[in-house]
Amino acid sequence: MKRLIYLLREAIRGLRANRTNTLIGIITTAFTIASFGMFLLLYHNVRTITGSLQNHIQVIIYLEDAISTQEQANLKHALTQETHIETLTFVSKKQALEEFHEQFPEESYLLDGIGDNPLPASFVATVVPHDHVSDLVSAMVTRVKELSGVEHVRYSRDWVERLTLFTSYLEMGALSIGLILALASMTIISNTVRLAFYARRDEIEILRLIGATGAFIAIPYLIEGAILGAMGGGLSLLFLRGGFEIVKDKIHDLGWVGGLQATIDFFPIHMSGMLVLAGLILGCAGSALSIYGWIKVRT
Amino acid sequence: MIQLFHVTKYYEGCLALSDLTLRVDKGECILITGPSGAGKTTLLKLIFGAEFPDDGQILVQNRNIARLRSTDIPYLRRTMGFVLQDFKLLPHKTVYENVELPLIIRGLSSFDARRKVAESLQSVGMDHKRAVQTSVLSAGEQQRVCIARAIVNSPVILLADEPTGNLDPQLTYEISELFKAIHARGTTVMLATHNRQVVEQINGRMIKLDCGRLLTDQGTLA
Ligand SMILES: Nc1ncnc2c1ncn2[C@@H]1O[C@H](COP(=O)(O)OP(=O)(O)OP(=O)(O)O)[C@@H](O)[C@H]1O
Ligand SMILES: [Mg+2]
Repeated sequence: MKRLIYLLREAIRGLRANRTNTLIGIITTAFTIASFGMFLLLYHNVRTITGSLQNHIQVIIYLEDAISTQEQANLKHALTQETHIETLTFVSKKQALEEFHEQFPEESYLLDGIGDNPLPASFVATVVPHDHVSDLVSAMVTRVKELSGVEHVRYSRDWVERLTLFTSYLEMGALSIGLILALASMTIISNTVRLAFYARRDEIEILRLIGATGAFIAIPYLIEGAILGAMGGGLSLLFLRGGFEIVKDKIHDLGWVGGLQATIDFFPIHMSGMLVLAGLILGCAGSALSIYGWIKVRT
Repeated sequence: MIQLFHVTKYYEGCLALSDLTLRVDKGECILITGPSGAGKTTLLKLIFGAEFPDDGQILVQNRNIARLRSTDIPYLRRTMGFVLQDFKLLPHKTVYENVELPLIIRGLSSFDARRKVAESLQSVGMDHKRAVQTSVLSAGEQQRVCIARAIVNSPVILLADEPTGNLDPQLTYEISELFKAIHARGTTVMLATHNRQVVEQINGRMIKLDCGRLLTDQGTLA
């Protein structure tokens, strides 16, 4: 207990003794983590948007005009068997015509001359939200096309696939940039801790002489690194939040769709926590790096 | 307790100790003397595991220092106390904190630590300055704090390098008495000194070194 308090106090003393270095360490770490966080924020939002779009995928199955009641019942039964279909609504030829008139009152005359109602009846299916929705829907569409009584099937395939591809690029980008920046902040913290370490090498010699183990000597520096990293992570959150609000205002000013502004949001709390945690771990690893070789020295 | 067999030590090609064989039994009081540069400090550092012999074997409490893993050295040191020629106190910490440190390292409870530190400080007569930073102490006071730190955990072996180097005759007398008392408690003491007063006052086994060689050893004569 006493030992723990001692180690903690030493770490804090170390941080306060080198205020300038500590500050520089925290700020540079904050910037590196924030750059990564920016990417993460973009990724997070594109993913949420893709997700919400994916939740609204509709598949429309147009029926042949000549379909019999029996066939239609069979088809409906077959569709209800599809596990990825969430809701299924039948739109009769008459309803389709009414909807057309409702949605495009100006163009109504186009259909007037034709006499018979040219619009087909259809089943409108919404798809259960799912990560790999676009693959699943393609497979389902191929199956449904084969069923008897189906004229053709339409669904919003292109942009879903494109967005999914985009998020996977973002994922790779975030990963590689994250890796590079992680190395960068580790180096920064490692240097800060190394300076603190050199400043106190006399002290370390004394500790060794009175029988301190390597761990006892190293722990305050590990704590120092962890505090530096965590504070850097916290500060980066502030930067990100500030930047985020500015971008959000810009989107508003540009008169972009209100829907987009409503959809983009900041990290949920657990992701913010992860950023701070990442800083903490990087800090710990950084100081471990700077004292690793030293711990093995015998005297 | 401590055995050296044909120990030789070089510093970057320069001979510091040559073919030294020595045996120290439990409870002995050894006075190491000899001119400056004779190898007194080197001998103590070897026993403490702060330097390693280039040749020969050193056994301390039946453990071979040269074969000890680096992770075991701290535990060996915890059974010994070392008063260094240059005190090596932490300047930004108080007298109390400096003396307490070896106990914190060992994970002693605050209650036991407080009692031991108080006892130790009283025995060197520094109890009244317990809250003072060591950086403002006089050399003699620092010396005494250093001794208090060395004996705070009742070591089996106490090594002291010029413990009276900075003291006036009166303080030298007091410190010598202190070492006699520590020895009387059963601690094995090895003390390096130039000081005739100390040698006369402490009636121990005298070992004379010169240029890294063992000149005389009362222990072998007696
Ligand atoms: N770290 C070192 N590097 C190089 N040479 C050293 C080192 N330490 C000691 N020496 C040399 O080893 C020899 C013995 O030194 P040592 O410190 O043991 O002498 P000493 O008997 O303690 O002297 P003093 O009475 O002045 O303290 C000396 O010639 C010294 O110059
Ligand atoms: Mg010396």
